[in-house]
Amino acid sequence: MFPKPIHRSAAHWQVFYQGMLPLVMILWLLPLIAVAIFSIKPAVDFTNGNYWSWPSSFEAVENYGKVFFASDMPQYLLNSIYITIPTVIGAVALSCMTGFALGVYKFKGNLLIFFFFVAGNFVPFQILMVPVRDLTLDMGLYNTKTGLVLFHIAFQTGFCTLFMRNFIRALPFELIEAARVEGVAEWRIFWFVVLPLVRPAIAALSVLVFTFIWNDYFWAIVLTQGVENTPVTSGITSFNGQYRAAYHLMSAGSIVAALPPVMMFFAMQKHFIAGLTLGSVK
Amino acid sequence: MGSVTIQNLVKRYGGLEVLHGIDLTVEDGKFVVLLGPSGCGKSTLLRMIAGLETVSSGDIAIGEQRVNDMHPKDRNIAMVFQNYALYAHMSVRENMAFSMRLKKTAQAEVDERVNWAASILSLEPYLDRFPKELSGGQRQRVAMGRAIVRNPDVFLFDEPLSNLDAKLRVQMRKEIKELHQRLKTTTVYVTHDQIEAMTMADQVVIMRDGVIEQIGTPLDIYDNPDNLFVAQFIGSPGMNLLSGEIVQGAGGKMFQTGDVTCELPQNSAAMVGQKVLYGIRPEHLQASMQGSGLSATVTVVEPTGPEIHLYATLAGHEICAIAHQRLDWKPDDELKLNPMVDRVHLFDAETKVAIPAG
Repeated sequence: MFPKPIHRSAAHWQVFYQGMLPLVMILWLLPLIAVAIFSIKPAVDFTNGNYWSWPSSFEAVENYGKVFFASDMPQYLLNSIYITIPTVIGAVALSCMTGFALGVYKFKGNLLIFFFFVAGNFVPFQILMVPVRDLTLDMGLYNTKTGLVLFHIAFQTGFCTLFMRNFIRALPFELIEAARVEGVAEWRIFWFVVLPLVRPAIAALSVLVFTFIWNDYFWAIVLTQGVENTPVTSGITSFNGQYRAAYHLMSAGSIVAALPPVMMFFAMQKHFIAGLTLGSVK
Repeated sequence: MGSVTIQNLVKRYGGLEVLHGIDLTVEDGKFVVLLGPSGCGKSTLLRMIAGLETVSSGDIAIGEQRVNDMHPKDRNIAMVFQNYALYAHMSVRENMAFSMRLKKTAQAEVDERVNWAASILSLEPYLDRFPKELSGGQRQRVAMGRAIVRNPDVFLFDEPLSNLDAKLRVQMRKEIKELHQRLKTTTVYVTHDQIEAMTMADQVVIMRDGVIEQIGTPLDIYDNPDNLFVAQFIGSPGMNLLSGEIVQGAGGKMFQTGDVTCELPQNSAAMVGQKVLYGIRPEHLQASMQGSGLSATVTVVEPTGPEIHLYATLAGHEICAIAHQRLDWKPDDELKLNPMVDRVHLFDAETKVAIPAG
């Protein structure tokens, strides 16, 4: 059996393992722990250079209260939601359809089109910065949520199509043929047979895309500015004034901003069921 | 109900032709089995009837209607796949009701038909289970249930029993045959298992390399194979074949190979001097321990229960005889073999075509 269960290895190795495990975990989580601690420190700790020691006072309520009630964070969060949710729906819906088309139908150029989707993933997005900004300006979509959403959907569809196409391809093809012979129209096969069976893939993809888009910083600062349309990732920097940085508030804001993807993961977790096609074929 | 008429059907994949002009008529209500080794095109032919493969040239008609360019969903056929292809996210009931539900059939009728199919296939206790909770045989029954609820014109079976274990296969074989006797729906059934073909079919179609070698009732094909391929393909253990030539003996034409000569049927059309293959099925070789007959030496003895398979060498040829008496056969025993003359098959050595017995 691999990996070998730890309780079957030598005693000294077990002690070493059990000693190292918490240490490595703390090391790994250190940045997160630091941000969490920063978020409950008073501002004065930063001016006094008291970064890493015990907080001089606990200001959790004060800091988080400011984030929610005395800053633009709620608006930024709302912007993020307005940008992320349509993108997830758009990208996943589109890629289910492209994935179905490329995974099920045999036609000339199928593989070529598929390679175009895959190749799109290899374009470094930084080189698109200026052209995309010009494009959105020309289309009147600069500094709009719609512009950001459209761009994100276009950019995510490549990866999502690769993901969905391979997943749909792995379904037993006889299921689709069986439905065809039974007199089921193609779009109904898509809706009633394929989609229910790829539910775990859709869930995984949704969480992934949600996290990608929610955490996007690059396009947020390239395509938006101002409170109206900026998502939370770039919004957090507004805690930095010209002459001072409010690290405690930025930390609190970061924690708040990081929560939705985590919640999204737990919400979708029950859909991650392996072997949904179990029993479908021998 | 519907017949299936296939005329000069050709299937090409790019430049590769896999079916070379198939002509076949399946009469309404008949059970026809397509039988052949893997790669012979039998599944392709079935899938073309279903509409899952396109037709390169030729015609397929179901009933009176030409269906070449018709989508599978409009052909009113039902197909059962080797791996069942059940919708894993639906219960047995939903699996069977699926297509009717989409056609907005009245709920009462759906229930009635599902219950009817379930009762025929003894699936009532499982209606609310999911496919993963069923055994292989039950899953195959669900797949059949899904086929019969719709009352299609034609049933198509694509090696439906290959995934089942030997015992279950025998049972399902009988169930499918019973089902056909009850419903009398035209059925086309693909298999590579000759026992399935022999036991179930009204008509067997033997295929090889994209052509039909012979069409006939199971016993007709068994007793009168048209050519060497059919003779060898049907029957287990297979037909014994000795190569030699026809000579003129005292009592008429004889077959000779090495020192061995065998009698031929009186009116055989074989000509003296013709190079032939002499075929005799194992059960038509009467074996005894002493007396007259061809002398052979036993090599292997295989008791099967009802009969004993005796493998022996006769003039350098490996042959098999089936004995029904439980004598004490042992390797290296001397064996006397008497072919039943009226059961002898002769094939031309070059064309491999059967020579009429007269």
